[in-house]
Amino acid sequence: MNYVYDFASVFRNADTLIDGLSLSLEIAAAANLIAVFGGFVIALLLLSPSRLIRLPATLFVEFFRCTPFLVQIFWFFYCVPMLLDVYLSSRALGILALSLILSTFNAEAFRGAVQAVPRDQIDAGIALGLSPFQRVAHIIFPTALRLVIPVLLTNGILAFQTSSLLSLVAVEELMFSGKMLSAKIYRPIETFTVVALIYLVVSLPVSQWVGWLERRRVRAER
Amino acid sequence: MSNSFKSARPDPLLRIDAVYKSYAKGAPVLRGIDLEMAAGERVVVIGPSGGGKSTLLRVVMGLEQIDDGAITFAGASYVTVTGRRTRIDARVRRSIGMVFQNYTLFLHLNVVGNLILAPCKVNGESRKTATARALTLLDRFGLAEKADAYPSQLSGGQKQRVAIVRALMLDPALMLFDEVTSALDPELVAEVEQVILQLAGQNLPMIIVTHDMWFARRIASRVLFCAEGRIIEDGPPEQVLGSPRTERARDFVHRVFHIGG
Amino acid sequence: MDFNFGLIWKFAVPLAQGLGTSILLSLICMALGSLLGLALALARSSPSRLLRLPAVAFVELFRGTPVLIQLFWVFFCLPLVLGFEPASFTSGVVALSLFTGAVTSETFRAALRSIGSEQRDASVALGLSRWTRMRYVILPQMALRATPVLLSNSITLFKETALVAAVGISDLMSVGENISNSIGRPVEILTTVAVVYFVIAFPFTRIVTLLEKRLLRKLAL
Repeated sequence: MNYVYDFASVFRNADTLIDGLSLSLEIAAAANLIAVFGGFVIALLLLSPSRLIRLPATLFVEFFRCTPFLVQIFWFFYCVPMLLDVYLSSRALGILALSLILSTFNAEAFRGAVQAVPRDQIDAGIALGLSPFQRVAHIIFPTALRLVIPVLLTNGILAFQTSSLLSLVAVEELMFSGKMLSAKIYRPIETFTVVALIYLVVSLPVSQWVGWLERRRVRAER
Repeated sequence: MSNSFKSARPDPLLRIDAVYKSYAKGAPVLRGIDLEMAAGERVVVIGPSGGGKSTLLRVVMGLEQIDDGAITFAGASYVTVTGRRTRIDARVRRSIGMVFQNYTLFLHLNVVGNLILAPCKVNGESRKTATARALTLLDRFGLAEKADAYPSQLSGGQKQRVAIVRALMLDPALMLFDEVTSALDPELVAEVEQVILQLAGQNLPMIIVTHDMWFARRIASRVLFCAEGRIIEDGPPEQVLGSPRTERARDFVHRVFHIGG
Repeated sequence: MDFNFGLIWKFAVPLAQGLGTSILLSLICMALGSLLGLALALARSSPSRLLRLPAVAFVELFRGTPVLIQLFWVFFCLPLVLGFEPASFTSGVVALSLFTGAVTSETFRAALRSIGSEQRDASVALGLSRWTRMRYVILPQMALRATPVLLSNSITLFKETALVAAVGISDLMSVGENISNSIGRPVEILTTVAVVYFVIAFPFTRIVTLLEKRLLRKLAL
């Protein structure tokens, strides 16, 4: 191995990567915001007592969970404009695709959390004379949300990492900038190492936070 | 006979010398335990939660590190402290069997599998003879038809009875029972206590930690009252359970008999 | 707009070959990755810092970065390490095995931790040696508990193999993308590709659920 590393030329072009990172963060943040809401709505559909609502919702979620993200993104970018005859910016398409993917994941989390709300909590609500809506708003939702926050955060990191796939459909996010830069300066190893570290630096604090939240919950349950 | 309880016993089976133990965080759990136990004895340990009863049993079993002290079994010292390390002689420890409060059957093995694991792997007994012994023992304790069942198919009482038989497979010279009926539904307690009484009838030495004072009175040849990491009273059951000398023990016994009885 | 899903039959053979590559890649990487994952999990639960820290760093690195970049990275680094240019399939196997190792190490670790300390206590009380305890008490229970999650992990892996299309391995995704680009029929081809992935992955998830239920009953958790 007599390869001479040259990280300096990567750092000289840091602005390219920073532009990419800011678009990645923007897309991931927007998708997360939409998907917290979207996930909850889909979870309500999944838990609906009516088969007519539950089955299509389940199929929708399962389809997203059982196919590769890359296929979903390609499909979204090539087929949606064709089928619906609408042409959106690649940034908007990216946000939409990622929101959908993340919503299905968050929906599963919300569903599990709502079901994990202890029965006696709900019984206590009934005993206290709360209306069904009040029970959802004051007992089920807050309890479920507390349970689900670590999963939402984990899914959020996953969405941020999945946003890298948008580089393959020419969205100029971090991974795309990395590919461009490595082609420009002929330094793929150095470039991709730096890009990987950027992803890691963004993801790691969040996953550490999740770990902390979970440890705290385990302690509290003892 | 002298009136000191200790010197009345020749040749101790178990001897605990000045054992101190504390966990990494928190107050010490054992603050100088001394005990001599003779071969024919059935010692029941009572006392408030957190008083060190269970820790005492775990230390005798060699499950815990201790800060200071030594434990000798039939003349062989097997728990010793050198510097900060606790050394445990696994050979000596093999003569002691233990049953725990939680169900500790190996969940991936059926009843016979649970019984023969240690005889086969520790003593090198053949599967065939170990299985034959297992079936004989199961039969003796009314568990013959459960030989092929998995722990999840057993009731709590059956699980504890199997756990006792599992310990007996190794022919222990001393049995430790750590609140073995505490996790059981009330109607299942009797079947487990019955097995322990059966073993008592065969003069198997044992140390029992229990909250069941009626059982304690029935089985004990000697009762220890443990609190705050010390043995506060030590004597025959009539005395410790009937007319305790210390205020602490009197208070405890009074309350337990009133609530538990 | 008219769609002609009949035309996919013309491409059945290349698509099937692509699927074969995807499945082969999944099987190889699952096998290699699980071994790595088991080793990592044991290293992480070791009392020695020297074993624990590198294992933690490895897992954090591979779980904290996108798989796509891991693929690119291995693709460019492997020739340097090996001194020659390996086949792109080899690079794909290495990258996805490393990723699977990181994922399954979490599975094994969780399984290991879910075994209560009372199982250790009981083993000690029965006089089992450290090795016997590991071999006959801890590992079998860990394997039982890990199995359904490992199967889920293999579904995840099967889906992630689609990424190798980006480094020029002719898997299902890559074949589908090429056909779709060359005939300009993304709706038919990409939908078919998605359905094929679904038809394989979905029944698998049901099996996992069934297995989990049976296991929970057996272990009475």
